[in-house]
Amino acid sequence: MIAEYTWLVPFIPMMCFLIIGIIGKKTPEKGGYIAIAGALCSFIIAVAISVEYLTGDAFANGDPITSQIEWFHIGDYTIHLGYYVDGLTCAMMLFSSFISTLIFIYSIGYMHDQGERKNRYYAEVSLFLTGMLGLIVSSNFLELFIFWEVMGLCSYLLIGFWSFRHDNGDEASANAASAAKKAFLVTRMGDVCLMGGLFIFLNLFMSLDYTTLFDNAAAVYAQDPELMTLGLLLIFGGVIGKSAQFPLHDWLPDAMAGPTTVSSLIHAATMVKAGVYLVARAFPLYVMDENVMLFVGIIGGVTAFIAATMALNNMNIKKVLAYSTISQLGYMILALGAGGYLWALGYEELGALGFFAGCFHMINHAFFKALLFMGSGSVIHGTGTEDMRLMGGLFKKMKITATTMLFGCLAIAGIPIFSGFWSKDLVIDIAMHAFEHGTDASVWFIILWVLAVITAFMTAFYMFRMWFMTFMGEPRENAQHCHGESPKTMTMPLVILAIFALISGLFMFFGLDKMLAVMGVQIDGAEEGLALFSNMFTYLTLILAVVGIAIAYLMYVKKTVDPGKFNKHGDSWLYKALTQRWWFPDLYNQISWKLGYGVAKGVNYIDRQIVDGTVNGLSGAVVGGGDSLSKVQTGHVQDYSSIVLIGISALAVIFLIIVAQLGGF
Amino acid sequence: MISDIVVNIFDDLTPLATMIILAIGALSFPAVQMFIKKHTVTWAYATILVVLAFAVNLVLLIDGIECEYLGVCLSPYSTFMALLFLTVLFLVVLVSNSSTETTKNHSGAYYSLLFGATIGMVFVTTSTDLLTIFVGVELTSISSYALVALKRKDGRASEAAVKYAIIGGMSTALTLYGISMVYGVAGSTELAEIAQYVTTMTDTPWILAIGVLCMLAGYGFKIAAVPFHMWAPDVYEGAATPVSIFLATASKKMGLGVFIQVFLVMFIGTTVTGTIFGETFQYIFAIIAAVTMTVGNVVAIAQTNIKRMLAYSSIAQAGYILIMMAVMTPNAEAAGLFHMFTHVFMKGGAFLIVGALICAGVGEKISDYKGLAKRAPVLAFAMMLFLFSLAGIPPLAGFTSKFFLFASAVGVPGEASGAWVWLAFVAILNSAISLYYYARVVKAMYIEKGECTDKIKIPATFMVAIAICVVFVIVLGVYPDLVYGFAETAVGLI
Repeated sequence: MIAEYTWLVPFIPMMCFLIIGIIGKKTPEKGGYIAIAGALCSFIIAVAISVEYLTGDAFANGDPITSQIEWFHIGDYTIHLGYYVDGLTCAMMLFSSFISTLIFIYSIGYMHDQGERKNRYYAEVSLFLTGMLGLIVSSNFLELFIFWEVMGLCSYLLIGFWSFRHDNGDEASANAASAAKKAFLVTRMGDVCLMGGLFIFLNLFMSLDYTTLFDNAAAVYAQDPELMTLGLLLIFGGVIGKSAQFPLHDWLPDAMAGPTTVSSLIHAATMVKAGVYLVARAFPLYVMDENVMLFVGIIGGVTAFIAATMALNNMNIKKVLAYSTISQLGYMILALGAGGYLWALGYEELGALGFFAGCFHMINHAFFKALLFMGSGSVIHGTGTEDMRLMGGLFKKMKITATTMLFGCLAIAGIPIFSGFWSKDLVIDIAMHAFEHGTDASVWFIILWVLAVITAFMTAFYMFRMWFMTFMGEPRENAQHCHGESPKTMTMPLVILAIFALISGLFMFFGLDKMLAVMGVQIDGAEEGLALFSNMFTYLTLILAVVGIAIAYLMYVKKTVDPGKFNKHGDSWLYKALTQRWWFPDLYNQISWKLGYGVAKGVNYIDRQIVDGTVNGLSGAVVGGGDSLSKVQTGHVQDYSSIVLIGISALAVIFLIIVAQLGGF
Repeated sequence: MISDIVVNIFDDLTPLATMIILAIGALSFPAVQMFIKKHTVTWAYATILVVLAFAVNLVLLIDGIECEYLGVCLSPYSTFMALLFLTVLFLVVLVSNSSTETTKNHSGAYYSLLFGATIGMVFVTTSTDLLTIFVGVELTSISSYALVALKRKDGRASEAAVKYAIIGGMSTALTLYGISMVYGVAGSTELAEIAQYVTTMTDTPWILAIGVLCMLAGYGFKIAAVPFHMWAPDVYEGAATPVSIFLATASKKMGLGVFIQVFLVMFIGTTVTGTIFGETFQYIFAIIAAVTMTVGNVVAIAQTNIKRMLAYSSIAQAGYILIMMAVMTPNAEAAGLFHMFTHVFMKGGAFLIVGALICAGVGEKISDYKGLAKRAPVLAFAMMLFLFSLAGIPPLAGFTSKFFLFASAVGVPGEASGAWVWLAFVAILNSAISLYYYARVVKAMYIEKGECTDKIKIPATFMVAIAICVVFVIVLGVYPDLVYGFAETAVGLI
């Protein structure tokens, strides 16, 4: 029984974190190799567990393998520590640890000249991986929450990694600092919701164990639907924060201030995937309420669309990728929402298809987004800038990077055979199903479907805009100084990931469909995959994607179409709105800084005025001598007593109000 | 025969054992200081006595001894609380000799006052009568006023001491006034009898309500509950940092202990009979809890002095703990006690670091902490742990104890189920607000660039005390049963 050792999967990176922290400085690459070894070990164990589980009886019966020990108890509640292995867990473990291993290998090349600080970097990424893997194998929501927070904490440290010293000067380091804080505080907004949701579940189920919750979901929902709905919405609040969904999406583009490898880790293998995973994990609970699922779907669809618009005119290579991540996450959430909606209405087969589409897209996205980020890292490494206006013509100098990134772009644009095609079209397909089968409210899904299709078009356009601007045309400023291809440690992971970007979509024909069954309902991957070709909407999105690529080609390579014509050379309101990110950062600032800090200042003023206003000069008097002290005292005791009087009167009034409310003595 | 008598006397004295050891210290420190004139010796002597008292108390706690002598009732509850006070006393005494803030010339008086205050606290937890509780609280308070004033030649300290003394006196008067009214109605100052009266009374005399409200306000000052909190930031800021630790972690816990002993005992019967009188007070506690945590957290955001910020955060933490008074279930009380315990290590640890840095010449402003991660990596890391624990980030102790508290509010059994969910939500929201100001300090330490890059060296005793806090902040987070088990037993016997 290898599954008994599931706890090792997060435990090994944890040990690596400690080892690197303590003796890492003395090892070559400041602990880099230890981090790689740890991630690789986790991957190997994950493979062994998956093989054992998928060939065992439990899987055949549709049961998870789970085991728990008592951690502590609070009165009637018992909180456990344990692991929970099912198909979803296996899939997540595998791709997270695999991609992390590749990212760590890549880091050896990318972070090579960071000196002593590499030590901190490798320690933190190991802890980060611990957070993700721990979250995946958790057997209850509290355990999940703990790892969830550990990951939040690490992202804070990693995004702020370049705050001390940055090649691009003080502004960049200030950006890194504020971006780190923003990421931490914004995702924390979501975490608060998640914690609230956990308490509601605790109240409803008297437990947080997955097995108990899943088994009793229907009974509890029948008893107290309102509270359950509230709990589900609050949990989804956590997802909105972590997976950067509208309206808390704005931290993710700023998080680009961290090293590119960290972005890659956050976007592909960990962090933002945690939110999607949470929805998938809680799917048996979510399907209780179709309205919650509708809400989830709407948030996903809107996020996909809005994020894609913001990527259209961005000049920063990493930011374009960041927006594309948000947009793709929106797709995943949309699929889970639409699938759950159908399930809640009784269409279990289609519900399972939606679940599959969401998770499948998450896995595919992990591969191609890791590829794209590491490719962009390679470009940044070579040119020393993130601004695409300073690049161009790099294809000749960086053949491997350019080719592998092309694979990534084709995958995300949804060109057939490449992975993105399969999952994205399933997502769009499921939105249409939700519209066809749903009740009155399902009219929302036709809107979401339209948004999703337009997003597919925009995605193809902005990804190829990025690729053409970077690799084609005349070399501009920084591109001219580029000293060629990146080292092997960086290109090797790119090649491996490019292969996966090409083939990971085909996994659905080879067992992934069975692996991602939900609540015992499996779909037939081969059938669904082939059905895409007999669906005319598939051809519609395909044509739109090709048109998007063509426009990008005409604009940025042929230059026969001038982008300036559309945006009035940057003067149109739409262009401004997009560069201002639809004014979301301003909104955040207004709320958090002006309102939050303003209130705090105000309350502080009152608080200090009451006290300090009455005792001004008192300290001087005391130091001065006893005579003046007595005077001051007599002068001010009345002020103090008035405070006491106010306090106690307030208490008395509250007392009377409550007594009256309760019906008197 | 004589040996039997001696044994009997010592048997009888068991409930007083801890207090006797502390009293020996309190009475002898001035003499020791006068004759030996080396403050290090006084310090060593004090440390030994604390450890001794701690050990005795730990034995009493683990054995679960219950006995009574001269009205002093030893119970798992009182030994649990005494353990908390002695832990704080140990941490404070440990660093006092190397702190530059404490006056060396008066070290005899200083340790004497510290021990005296602790005797008061321990005495309070063993009392079952309003008057003996009152006496214990006064012993602690009067010692505390002098402790704050001991940091001489500092205007802020003098101001704080005067303010503290005046407000403390006022709260004492209020309490006494309240006690007299309660005595007038219930006919006793014995808490069990008052509780009996409150549970069985058929109609509620208004005078009783006024009396209880006065007591509530009086003891509200001791725990710095809003609106009786205004002294706390000034006092914590003005006092020498070891004294701030003592006040913020031990003295305040005594106040909360009084809340449990007086109000819980008084109203616990009414939660069963369901009279409106008790329920009203539960709501009052809930409102005080919610307002206290909110005001504490919101005002903390605007602070620039780290001691003031920690003071407001202390106010907020007292608000969280007050949840136990609103919920009034055994789970909530145990969780409250547990949170008091974890609070000792996280808030104590944070204050210890502030104190250590003052000794090393670093200012009290948050902006002085810029670049601390470079200058003192270990200290900065410990500070980050303490602050994140206070903010309730898992898997640290602060998260676990907060989780216990909020879970107990959410999971009230029986009819009242769901009555306090709103309170848990207010508390969760507050945790989110609090992260903002804690993160600001972490950001200053880790992410911002400091002007000065010299390495910081701090005294070894501080390092030991901080290390103890770090260990417990982590251990209690991962293995809460270490202390929570005792808290549960303690609650079972109130």
